[in-house]
Amino acid sequence: MASDSSEQAFNNKIVSVNGVTPEQVVLGPSPIQDKHNISREQQAAITRVIARAGQLLQAYNAESRIIEQTTERLGIAFGLDSVEIALTSKAIILTSRFNDHCVTTTRTMKAHGIDMGIVCEVQRICILAEKQIYGVEQIKLRLDNLAVPKYSATIVAGFVALSCACFSHLFGGDSIVFAATWLTSLVAMLIRQWLTQLHHNLVTVFFITAFVATFIGSFASAFSWGNEPELVMITSVLQLVPGFPLINAVSDMVKGHVTIGMARWMTATLLTLAATLGIVLAVQLAQLGGWL
Amino acid sequence: MSAILLMLVDDAIFAGIAAFGFALLFNVPRQALLACVLFAASAHATRTLLLHFNVPIEWASFIAATLLGLATVPWSRKVLIPRPVVTVAAIIPMVPGVYAYNTMTGLMALHHQGYSVALQQQVVENGLLTIFILIGLSFGLAIAPVLVYRNKPIV
Repeated sequence: MASDSSEQAFNNKIVSVNGVTPEQVVLGPSPIQDKHNISREQQAAITRVIARAGQLLQAYNAESRIIEQTTERLGIAFGLDSVEIALTSKAIILTSRFNDHCVTTTRTMKAHGIDMGIVCEVQRICILAEKQIYGVEQIKLRLDNLAVPKYSATIVAGFVALSCACFSHLFGGDSIVFAATWLTSLVAMLIRQWLTQLHHNLVTVFFITAFVATFIGSFASAFSWGNEPELVMITSVLQLVPGFPLINAVSDMVKGHVTIGMARWMTATLLTLAATLGIVLAVQLAQLGGWL
Repeated sequence: MSAILLMLVDDAIFAGIAAFGFALLFNVPRQALLACVLFAASAHATRTLLLHFNVPIEWASFIAATLLGLATVPWSRKVLIPRPVVTVAAIIPMVPGVYAYNTMTGLMALHHQGYSVALQQQVVENGLLTIFILIGLSFGLAIAPVLVYRNKPIV
């Protein structure tokens, strides 16, 4: 494995990300002792591992270019000739080639929301495979037992609310607006987390969250708190800006994945529309009640 | 001069905190959080500085995003973390949420109160700003891989 000390340090750095180090993984006989002699079964096993990595990347909202490159690099690291991948918005189709044998497999995508921790972890696993630190078996084990720590929901809610409060400051709100925005978006964020936990459709979640945030925020206008009370209403829904789908959409389209980019763009538009409907409903209710 | 500096520091701090919240929401790994905050703060301060010198906001966003994209390349190669992990959370404070909001409420008012030139002006101006800023941001981020690292993986 590692010959000199700097390489060793490098390996330690990427291996010890989560609890599992290569020594702890049971070192079975590596299925590819000879890279120029991969049997049909071995090729199928390797393809399954690569498909799993691609599926994970897609489910947790990685950019298409990363999915393409990671699967291809994994295949070459395992000794295959090439890995070709076709991405759609709901599935990945993956073909591995070795000599004249092709293995093709399809995986549907179950969207899991955004988790950059998992994207990082899969990328690291790919590098471990490229450096020949891990064999196919260990990679499979590690992909099946991904242990990426998540931040506690309360902390996330508190800090996302703080983000919205910071937006209100950036747009010129004073400290009363800051505090009101924090409270409003905290309530909205807690409801959003609760709805997500119940596995509701993302569109529903955005609609209800936007409604709640705007409805509570409208009371700040009613009592005219702070210098610009309507900022509370505007900035507490900013937590719903679909930044990831939007940025991914354009970078996918720029890099040639036009269909996926369009799908992501439509997703972002749909989410924005849902949030807008929530805002409209809340504003109209507030106007009906006569406090806005 | 010191007024500008104070404004930039204030701007950077609040943009950094805003990015931190979204980084937690996207579950950015712990070792990338600080970098994410610093990138977000410096990118937003850069944009505010450009706006101060009367650069149009879409070009300011584009330049800030381009610099952010280029700055994350050496960092990403060093710590072996793909760039989108930090760039998207770092760009969130610059996303034109308020312009998008004004566009939508303008559309709503247009439907409710009937057509008026002032409302149409609000919708068109805010809508165009939203679209151009978004395009500027996302194209800016794509500059580094498209121009510098053509078809080569960065990490």
